[in-house]
Amino acid sequence: MFDPRARARFRRNRAAVLGAGIVVFLALFALLGPLLVGSDPYTSDFVSGATPAQNPAGPSAAHWLGTDRIFRDELARLAHGARLSLVIGVAATVIASTVGAFVGIVAGYYEDTPGIRVPWAVVACACGAAALAVFGRGAPALGVLAGGALLWLFSARSARTALRSGPEVTADTALMRVVDVGLSFPFLLLVMAVGAALDRTTTTSIFVTLGLTGWLGTARILRAKTMQIKKHDYVLAARALGQSTLAILTRHVLPNVAGPLIVIATLSVAQMIVAESVLSYLGVGISPPTATWGHMLFEGQDIYQTAPWILACPAVAILLAVFGFNLLGEGLRDALDPRED
Amino acid sequence: MRSTRARTELGPRTRRGERLTCLFSVFLFSIFFGALTGCGGGLDAPLPRAHDGDETPRRGGTLHLASFGDIRGLDPAITSDGLATPVLSLLFAGLVEYDDAGKLVPALAERWEVGEGGTEYRFTLREGVRFHDGDELTAEDVKRSVERALSPSTPNPNASFYEKIAGYENYTEKKLPHLDGVRVLGRYVVAFTLAEPDATFLPALALTSLRPVCKSGGERFTDGWHPCGAGPFKLLPGGWEHGRSVTVVRHEGYFRPGRPYLDAVTWTYGMGIVTQRFKLESGEVDALQDFSQADIVRFQSDPRWKPFGTFAPERTVYGQAMNVEMAPFDNVEIRRAVAAAIDRDHFRMVSPARTRTAYQVLPPSVPGYREDLPGRQRYDVAAALEHMRRAGYPYDPATGRGGYPNVIPYYAYKAGMTEYTAQLMKQDLAKIGLQIEIRILSFPTWSALTRRRGKAAFSEGSWQMDFPDASDFFEPLFSGKAINDEDTSNNAFYKNARVDALLANAHRELDPKARAAMYDEANTIVCDEAPWAFTHGVRWYVVWQPYVRGYKTHPILNQHVVDVWLDRESERRAAGAPGGARSGLGRALGSLIGAGAWR
Repeated sequence: MFDPRARARFRRNRAAVLGAGIVVFLALFALLGPLLVGSDPYTSDFVSGATPAQNPAGPSAAHWLGTDRIFRDELARLAHGARLSLVIGVAATVIASTVGAFVGIVAGYYEDTPGIRVPWAVVACACGAAALAVFGRGAPALGVLAGGALLWLFSARSARTALRSGPEVTADTALMRVVDVGLSFPFLLLVMAVGAALDRTTTTSIFVTLGLTGWLGTARILRAKTMQIKKHDYVLAARALGQSTLAILTRHVLPNVAGPLIVIATLSVAQMIVAESVLSYLGVGISPPTATWGHMLFEGQDIYQTAPWILACPAVAILLAVFGFNLLGEGLRDALDPRED
Repeated sequence: MRSTRARTELGPRTRRGERLTCLFSVFLFSIFFGALTGCGGGLDAPLPRAHDGDETPRRGGTLHLASFGDIRGLDPAITSDGLATPVLSLLFAGLVEYDDAGKLVPALAERWEVGEGGTEYRFTLREGVRFHDGDELTAEDVKRSVERALSPSTPNPNASFYEKIAGYENYTEKKLPHLDGVRVLGRYVVAFTLAEPDATFLPALALTSLRPVCKSGGERFTDGWHPCGAGPFKLLPGGWEHGRSVTVVRHEGYFRPGRPYLDAVTWTYGMGIVTQRFKLESGEVDALQDFSQADIVRFQSDPRWKPFGTFAPERTVYGQAMNVEMAPFDNVEIRRAVAAAIDRDHFRMVSPARTRTAYQVLPPSVPGYREDLPGRQRYDVAAALEHMRRAGYPYDPATGRGGYPNVIPYYAYKAGMTEYTAQLMKQDLAKIGLQIEIRILSFPTWSALTRRRGKAAFSEGSWQMDFPDASDFFEPLFSGKAINDEDTSNNAFYKNARVDALLANAHRELDPKARAAMYDEANTIVCDEAPWAFTHGVRWYVVWQPYVRGYKTHPILNQHVVDVWLDRESERRAAGAPGGARSGLGRALGSLIGAGAWR
């Protein structure tokens, strides 16, 4: 996917190499750390993990990074937290990138195609259904929506133009309005609301929530990129030769938006790690005793003067992860930009 | 140049995400360096009094208090949680109240007489007592408020305290429109007739439940009523910002001349304990009782602060409540296994300075407590495994085979020790083949859920003493009469005919020795049948700024501030946080770690 010039540009960028190194280190730490650290992250050590004053023990041979608030090995929890943070960051990014790429490419490709005229009455039904859904009236909302669909069918067959009048809606318009609405919500607030609404939060529910709320920016960028690409001669030629839309999108458009997509995804991993940490810190993330960096941060804050390592370890880990992924993302952005030469 | 162009391609979401990442990084940096600068850091000096040596109380000022939790209501008829009670006791005055020594004294009632046989209490009210709305308090108001609080439509968690009032059953079962046992004998005279002698009637009357409310409170409890009583402080419209704070202001018509001294009292809720500590040091919070273990030690060992801090008498019992109506705790052997499997000494290690281990219903400060209670719960893993076997779920710790097959949800809230004790208990229960899944909720959600029938099989239970009598623990927590569907205080839904009979007999028994024997037997039964695994008790450590005068702990009440007055240099308050031992940078970093902005 990367041509030799891009690889050379990446290698010349020391910051990018450092970022890649940090990411590889974290990946290895997440992968091998829990196996290499002998201690169980979920078992308290009341003997060597506590001081005579019954405070958490500091770094020692038994516990390299000390113990936490209830005397569990800090390093073991950090390693398990790394695994969880990276899994959530990567999985949420995969979901966000997939959805965002699909929406962006489809919207961009169909941007100038004629749309469907939607009668005003149907628009009113859709708005009503949305309002009902917001207030938790699911069944009436579906009923109103079904009524709107019937009304649409009826108006299409009606000879009266007044019934058929309404805005013209293209795939691009519809999808981008969804993106606009999504972008108008503060990201973390949206994620917190979903998290709070779930009876119990698991790793899966967290990364699905983050993924399904994090694709909007990706869609907007890829739409713009697709609109540029579809005007290139090779795409026009493919269309003239009768290639199917699917083939054009997968063979010509997708490979050409892959560069920006990778850059966005890399930066997005850092954001997802931060988002997960914030959720855990605020108490709407994964419940204890699961080790997450955000929750470790929370647990350390009220005894940071007695046991600063409990706070400092996850703080440094999050900093390192965000720093690494950001450097890597910026490095990729510069490396994949042909104008860099 | 290239960077600028490249960045303009990123959408608003990505840019926003970068900003968020950047902000969080700053937060983490501050945590990291704050942790380093804070290592071993001392406390700021206490703020001085303006008139040291002069003990003449001065009027004015607002006392600022804080809590990590939040309150659910301010209607005395339906509210009994420990956080709301200090506010309720300022808004609503009672016929009788406790003095500083914990002795019952007349309050709204000028005096009372007890009739022969101990079944009639006649109260003569003070004349000219004004409610917050200006109306005069009369005997009719007392009767209306009692009927309102005990009405069958009122979800009063304390209602069972008053079942000895004559006609209680007829009234609560809607057979009669009024409560026969409360009679108006004149404009200022009201009599309570009891069906039988009740050793706890007066202490129960001192609770906030039956305290007179303004006529706007109506005949029946309704949602949305603006709290209005005859207490020393009143709540103005907008004084309660739900989820944030409550501010009460002085009631000029309060019946005690010259009291209260303060203009207002403000409680801020949902404030993290570290933030609270920083705000105490800066003088933004004037007194504190939510502490981390490390901070208790720090305040106790600092000679400048030591005179202004003390432990309140221990009035609490904490345990793990097992809903006996829900699986698997409908099986008494499982409950016994849980009670035997929990190592209380490890619980204590979470906050050793203020925690004691508990193995029975009563805390040591309650008359009748016996350290050597026969049949009290104890930590014994072998016994716990035996109970699991008897329950039909044998477990082999060596192989990890067996045990209860389903995961049990355990409900906790995100504050204080609960989150940590839950994790310790999870480790202990895993050793006998019980797996629990901890679910963390906000305190109000947790409180509502665990008091509702059929919702929570396993959760933390706690009780703080309302009055110094064993009945105050047994009856709300373990009597069948305390069970109701929506807002029960018996959150284990435990009912035992023998225990109910013992509690009823002890309630009417006036001989202290005979009562103690009955409570001992009830205690032993409850410990054996284990609707709760009793685990620990917590005593509050209270610290106040020196300029907070008259602040002291009370043998029974929590945060009792009617006699408090402020002696603070006004210019210091106006200038905000004064300089202290820590640098401005250290304070700023510390404040960030306190995470006020993030919570």
